[in-house]
Amino acid sequence: MDEKKYSSKYKRVGQPYDRKDAREKVTGQAVYTYDLELPGMLHARCLLSPYARARIVSIDTSAAKALPGVRAVLTGEDSDILVGLYMQDKRVLSKGETRYHGDVVAAVAADDEETAERGVSLLKVVYEPLEPVRNVDEALEGKILVHDDINELKHYVGVFFPQKDSNIASWNKSKKGDLDKAFDEADLVVENEFSLPAVAHVPMETHVAIVQADPFSNKIKIWASAQSPFAIRQIMADSFHISETDVEVHIPYVGGGFGGKAGIHLEPLAALLSRAAGGLPVKVRATREQEFNQLPTRAGMRGRIKTGVTKDGKITSVKAVYDWDSGAYADYGVNVGKTAVYSGVGPYAVENASIDSKTIYTNKVFSTAYRGFGHLETHWTIERQIDILSQKLGIDPYEFRMKNLLEPGCQTMSGEVITASNGSPKDCLTAVVKEIGWTGRKSEEERQREWKTGKVRGKGFAMLQKAPAMPANTATAVIMQMNGDGHVKMMIGAVDYGQGAITALAQIAAQELDMPIEHIEISSEIDTRANPYDWNTVASKLTFMAGNAVIKASREMLRKMKDVAAQALRTDPDYLDHADGVIFHRHNPERRLTYKQIALGYMYPNGTGIGGPLIASGSSIADGLTNLHPETGQGYPAAVWTFGAHAVEIEVDVETGSIEVLKVASAFDIGQVINEKLVYGQICGGVLQGLGSALLEGYKFNADVQLMNPSFTDNKIPTLKDIPGKIVPIYIENPQFNGPYGARGVGEHPMISVPSAIGNAVYDALGINFHVLPLSPEAIVLGIQSGKKSILCTDVDCLPGLH
Amino acid sequence: MLSRFKYFKPHTLSEAVQYLEKEDNSYVLAGGTDLMILLRRNLINAEHIVDIKMLPEIAAFEYVEGVGLTIGAAVVVNRVVDSAAVKAKYPALNQAAAALASFQLRNRATVVGNICNASPGADLPPSLLVYDAVVNIAGPKGARQVPLNQFFKGVKRTALERGELVVSIQLPDPGEGDKSIYLRQARLKGHDLATVGVATRIKPDGKVAIGIGAVAPTPLRLSALEDMINERGLSRETVEWAAQEIKQHIRPISDVRSSAAYRLQMASVLLKQGLLKLIEKED
Amino acid sequence: MDNSKDCSIYTEHIESGKRKVTLSLTVNGRKVVRDVDPSMTLLHFLRDNLKLFGTKEACGEGECGACTIIMNGKAVTSCIILAVEAEGAEITTVEGLAKGGKLSILQEEFVSQDALQCGFCTPGFLMSSRALLDHNPNPTDEEIIEALSGNLCRCTGYIPILSAVKRAAERERKELGR
Repeated sequence: MDEKKYSSKYKRVGQPYDRKDAREKVTGQAVYTYDLELPGMLHARCLLSPYARARIVSIDTSAAKALPGVRAVLTGEDSDILVGLYMQDKRVLSKGETRYHGDVVAAVAADDEETAERGVSLLKVVYEPLEPVRNVDEALEGKILVHDDINELKHYVGVFFPQKDSNIASWNKSKKGDLDKAFDEADLVVENEFSLPAVAHVPMETHVAIVQADPFSNKIKIWASAQSPFAIRQIMADSFHISETDVEVHIPYVGGGFGGKAGIHLEPLAALLSRAAGGLPVKVRATREQEFNQLPTRAGMRGRIKTGVTKDGKITSVKAVYDWDSGAYADYGVNVGKTAVYSGVGPYAVENASIDSKTIYTNKVFSTAYRGFGHLETHWTIERQIDILSQKLGIDPYEFRMKNLLEPGCQTMSGEVITASNGSPKDCLTAVVKEIGWTGRKSEEERQREWKTGKVRGKGFAMLQKAPAMPANTATAVIMQMNGDGHVKMMIGAVDYGQGAITALAQIAAQELDMPIEHIEISSEIDTRANPYDWNTVASKLTFMAGNAVIKASREMLRKMKDVAAQALRTDPDYLDHADGVIFHRHNPERRLTYKQIALGYMYPNGTGIGGPLIASGSSIADGLTNLHPETGQGYPAAVWTFGAHAVEIEVDVETGSIEVLKVASAFDIGQVINEKLVYGQICGGVLQGLGSALLEGYKFNADVQLMNPSFTDNKIPTLKDIPGKIVPIYIENPQFNGPYGARGVGEHPMISVPSAIGNAVYDALGINFHVLPLSPEAIVLGIQSGKKSILCTDVDCLPGLH
Repeated sequence: MLSRFKYFKPHTLSEAVQYLEKEDNSYVLAGGTDLMILLRRNLINAEHIVDIKMLPEIAAFEYVEGVGLTIGAAVVVNRVVDSAAVKAKYPALNQAAAALASFQLRNRATVVGNICNASPGADLPPSLLVYDAVVNIAGPKGARQVPLNQFFKGVKRTALERGELVVSIQLPDPGEGDKSIYLRQARLKGHDLATVGVATRIKPDGKVAIGIGAVAPTPLRLSALEDMINERGLSRETVEWAAQEIKQHIRPISDVRSSAAYRLQMASVLLKQGLLKLIEKED
Repeated sequence: MDNSKDCSIYTEHIESGKRKVTLSLTVNGRKVVRDVDPSMTLLHFLRDNLKLFGTKEACGEGECGACTIIMNGKAVTSCIILAVEAEGAEITTVEGLAKGGKLSILQEEFVSQDALQCGFCTPGFLMSSRALLDHNPNPTDEEIIEALSGNLCRCTGYIPILSAVKRAAERERKELGR
């Protein structure tokens, strides 16, 4: 960390405090749901479908039920409860038909894990394998419906658009301008296809939930490794037809999420098992294998994009079609698909455009939110296309982007006018391009010369943009209380699963209240009975939205403190100021009270009290957002855009295909750094996850759509040996008018467009355009061997299942 | 883990052999890095686990000049990585050992276990094969020796018979002027099974030996190719030729780790790079 | 099997229908004796029997390093070791790092360098690092990378972990004279 020299103009905001949860985490004291044991707790194991699509002919549970220690055995016959975030399309247990290799067929709760596992091994199921829907093309043909009840599925009307008698869970659209005319008038029209496979989140703590469901009342108590306690509460209440107050959700420390724990997953199953077992708490914990093949993934995606440009490099028209291979259930997938219609041309001003984004059911592991929420995927399409356009135009890719990037006065895809307060994409691009010393593309001669050495270097860069993908009325709140010692306790409804949010929010409160951060405590554990509401912990919106709520709460707290202090000091609150934990009179600073003196109410010398325990709250709701028009996609979806850019330098071994990443420069217009150490952590972690998607990761299916790599043996993530030579973070601080201290979210952004930048650098190195991820050693070698200049999915036999 | 087993920790080799012969579904436990996964995934049903770590006969790890290297069944891979003698005398084995799995696993995984697991893509066999390693086996009918290139019988199958266990593996002394190298390709730099692993050796008499993993049901010694190379005489031209010719000597499959096409190409590249590096040392 | 009684150093007995053997070992300096099922892993023994919940399972197959502990001086993945294999062993877990109510230098540097986010992999990283520094107080970057690359982390991108271990090594040499 020695090279970073960030300095803040604020006393507490912008300072590199240690994260508040660190000490508990380095001593083994931090308790995760995985660690929790409750009195009488049972353990459950699931039986998963061995087929992508099969009819369940019969299930014989008798031997499992007879096993001593088994307390409950459930199959799809035992419950018709449906769950789903935006589409109620998922049965807790399969009934009739299984929809993916990993769908839960039955579950056993027993005294211990071993007995539960043994119970599962005694279940006898007869399946009739059915022809599966293998990919988006088969799905769009619609001969087989993954959900034959799609026309009846309960869904979020007006935002998602399931298509009748089809496999399309939602078809979202946007369009503007006169596209046909623009293509006709363009000097050059280029059409390309890009694709990438499903990728796993790989939180180190697998999904786990403990649920105690009282069979004699409606009460359901949940402890879960999850990102969104209030979403779980709402969906459980909705699916189980009980009130939200009947559901209590506790979130202890969470061992990583990345979007994979944004929704609701094992909780309903654990609840059913608990009820069946007479109300004993039941723990359901995914094995690593289940984490890969039962729990959701990032969807695979195919983007088809057609772009019209003038010969001097102005983009006039874009037609994009994004097909998301979302697997068996919609979950968050439909919302991921929705983002493409307002963000799917990238941070560029395009006057004539149309986007069709289809979230498509297939018989694969289902998809959900994943860091970047569709933007890594769409930017893989957009930023590779931009690079190819610049090749065809013979314009430097930096110059080409600079001609087209959004700037104040431009409109986004959904018609929102950009202002200086949105931050500057151009500042980001210029910073990273400078950092890697870009001087233009490699010439063919240089390429050939280097090729002879066996290793060719290349540079590339890519833009990125993302705004929180959330309902227009997304809201959050904080409650702030003062303890007797003058310290402050805050409660939020969102979860810090490692991002560092509680530290950042404490810094904002410390700045506002002007007191040491050590005196501010935010519990990382959430209890929906006590903590205030938050929509979901997703979308890089926590610091932005909860930060604003903290500011409001802090100011309310100060107002209340000053009211009490004014009475005690016999003055007007307006004459009072605060600093360093003291309220004082502006003109006579010796007339003062410490926070501690008024924390629980001020006490006069004779014992009389006034005021009372100090408590304040702050709420924050997205400002001025609208649902998008169902046909044109016009509207205001973005509470806050964060723009950024990555530039990379790589070295390709042309014989083995291995790519060495020498340097990554990452710039984000984050408005204001709240804690440089935490931002740096997000950048290092996000960039490496992005490199995983770029070079390595992806689900592989066989012809029967069975997942071939459901373990760390074959579903690899980058290790310490795989870090790039250097990561250079660059913080651009054009403040956001309504961000806390001008700050914007940056949790997901470091992952977005890392693959695009690598893909562009591979072109620079090899003169070959790869249209498919990952850029594995195998893909590079087979790509080179093919002799083609454009490498599609079908050219490298390393993505079975996608096509 | 569904297996419910008796755990037996013999003090002598004969106890171990007798127990293994007598009991059905008994498995030898040394490092456990492969066995525990089979148990966890319920791919085997073990009723008896015979932990051989205390047997004095399997502790040996020594290099004797003129005789060679003995690696007992209890020797963990990191000991081979750290051994100065191995680094000096058997560089390909040192490199293969250092490439195997992760640091923690190498603290448990044994060299002999890597052989007995008989995985087609195991890292150590190609190097051991080029050194003409011999496997020392103890069994109910007494001790026997099997050359390593006859030890592998198929995917996860070896020449071991009921009641037998490997006591040690022995490598002849390569002598002065011997050179070797192990090169592997994997999906990432971090711990991974080899997509292809190639050990190449140039013996003091100039003859070439080639061992390769992950291109057939068992690790292979490419004797026919070696003969052809030796006949032609080692030169840069021969290396280029051999890099193409090797594709005629292996039949890799496509699986989740790699396509056959990439494996063929990597076998070619790694053989070429290995031989060239060894030749360069000569120059 | 003339001396089978002597050669099995464990007394097996059946306890509530389950096979048990008696195991004694030293964990974080404390001698413990427990009856365990022979199929129990060392990881489960530490967590379920000794209630040392700092050591985590994240894959159960030795691939991720979250369950790394130090056994007889070496970093090992406790999820693929049977508890019975640890007979007589000397074991250190994450709970054994801080002494006298004070974080160790290594832990302090993990905090100061922000070498953790969700924290689930952190105990494993600390134990791999501890074992490394015990054997090699002045490791090169390559040696640190080799010793720690069997530990997976999905949050940090590893770079802060690398700097924490480097700084800890430096401080230990200076402050503890290693």
